[in-house]
Amino acid sequence: MSDYSIDELMVVTLAREFTNDTRAFNGAVSFVPVCAYLLARRTHAPELVWAASSIAIDANPAAIPESTLSDGLWNGASMLSGSSYDFWSFAQGRRYNTFAFRGAQMDAYGNVNNTVIGPYESPKVRLPGGGGMADLGCMLPLIYLWSTTHDPRTFVEKLDFRSGMGWGDGGDDRARLGLPGGPQLCVTNLCVFEFDPDSKRMRIRSLHPGVAVEQVVEATGFELPAPTGPVPVTPEPTAEEVRILREEVDPTGARLREFR
Amino acid sequence: MAAHESKLRTLEEAAELIPDGATIGIGGLSMNGAPMAFVRTLARRRVKDLTVVAVVAGIPIEWLVAAGCVRRVVSGLVSLEGFGLAPRFRAAVQAGQVEIEEYSEHTLICRLQAAAHRLPFVPTRAGLGTDMLGLHPTTLRLEHDPVSEEPYVACTPLPLDFGIVHATEASTRGNVRVDPKLIWMDGEVARAAATTIVTVERIVPEATFVAAPARTTYPRFTVDVVVEAPWGAYPTSAFPRYGYDGDFFRSYVQAHTDPEQAQQFWSDRVDGPDGHGSFLDANGGARTLLSIARRTS
Repeated sequence: MSDYSIDELMVVTLAREFTNDTRAFNGAVSFVPVCAYLLARRTHAPELVWAASSIAIDANPAAIPESTLSDGLWNGASMLSGSSYDFWSFAQGRRYNTFAFRGAQMDAYGNVNNTVIGPYESPKVRLPGGGGMADLGCMLPLIYLWSTTHDPRTFVEKLDFRSGMGWGDGGDDRARLGLPGGPQLCVTNLCVFEFDPDSKRMRIRSLHPGVAVEQVVEATGFELPAPTGPVPVTPEPTAEEVRILREEVDPTGARLREFR
Repeated sequence: MAAHESKLRTLEEAAELIPDGATIGIGGLSMNGAPMAFVRTLARRRVKDLTVVAVVAGIPIEWLVAAGCVRRVVSGLVSLEGFGLAPRFRAAVQAGQVEIEEYSEHTLICRLQAAAHRLPFVPTRAGLGTDMLGLHPTTLRLEHDPVSEEPYVACTPLPLDFGIVHATEASTRGNVRVDPKLIWMDGEVARAAATTIVTVERIVPEATFVAAPARTTYPRFTVDVVVEAPWGAYPTSAFPRYGYDGDFFRSYVQAHTDPEQAQQFWSDRVDGPDGHGSFLDANGGARTLLSIARRTS
């Protein structure tokens, strides 16, 4: 299959990680994971649970609106769950198990910054804020990261502010804090990163078609371990996956808001 | 039986209650369900030095900051989501004109719950390992359970002077219904406040609540002031009756790419119109409202 674009490759790659045991929800500006949950449910994971906007369980929207936290995403839901009582108990109680987030900066351990660029007290850029990522990064065992801007400004050695918890300082840092699981992988517009099982630092799992290792190394602000052998290529989407994504999941191309 | 005292006030009367320097909590979440008619009225009063608490917000903070009402913002997230960043808020923080105390959603909710319950703290795992804890060493304390030794974050009370939320309907006695159910964090905002102000789409007879008591959201003794404000969440949504006005947010963000245009937009479509009806008219009136109205049955 060669007729696909980078947004489609990213959505399909993420969707293939999800299973019938995935119990997920989404936050603000989360077009890529929302598309991935919907695609996975329509292809290989019909039992997957997804709460639109963290509210509307089993929603099946005809299209995705400008806000992934809005009721435009809720059509077809079997329950509108209340925020405070239902949602937060399902999240902290691990009834849900999966959350995806991104940040303006990410480090090698999958920690993210969406708070400030520069010092907190006198920021060069004030970002929207961590929102729920500081909560959900700590509460959920299966964390997925994505980035549509793989460059050294996004993937940095040291965050200006740690808004959301990934693997923390690496090693057993999360476990010592009593936190479950951790980041599983990070899908970017150049490659897929996975995490070294011991150090918990990112390393290349696969390169997107046409991307070279050197390109990823150059676009990454932290040190990457040199691959020990040939690096796999990210499997391409099938024609059917692309069709479902384009025609059924996201007919208006809302996901492209993340690729501008 | 003596007549009951009416809690019904106008938007202007309700906004008059808020003094300079007050700590106010605002309900809604992002593009949804914020008490915007009240926020606009308050902004036009040019009240000063407010501390504004909003768990996940955008346009309410934007307008209060633009009107120069705010000293400090306490929030987890301030943005206009898929439409863009909140331009006035961002500029004011970067210029050092407004302080931002960033919490996460859940630590803020826990702080409001601690205030509502009058507890010394409410525990959570939220924020462990993040830099947010370092910002708030006294209000978010890293502690360990004395028995299990598990670490947790102790979120101390955040009492509000005023809590303002938008709902579907109320009686003049102050019973309030969010129909079909409360979805956002408004319950925490209403319960943590010394004075709770509720704006509603319509005033209904008390008998409406007696006929369906299971569907009452806030009981009258927890509500101090009710205000009738049809379309009172505009330009945010009031699920399931109307959606947010995407055209408004698109043109708002677009106007803020140029200072002159931004000022024009602010005076023509936000700050200038006198009264809620004129404000709705300035943004397209009936045509706009019909375009965002939803069929509810």
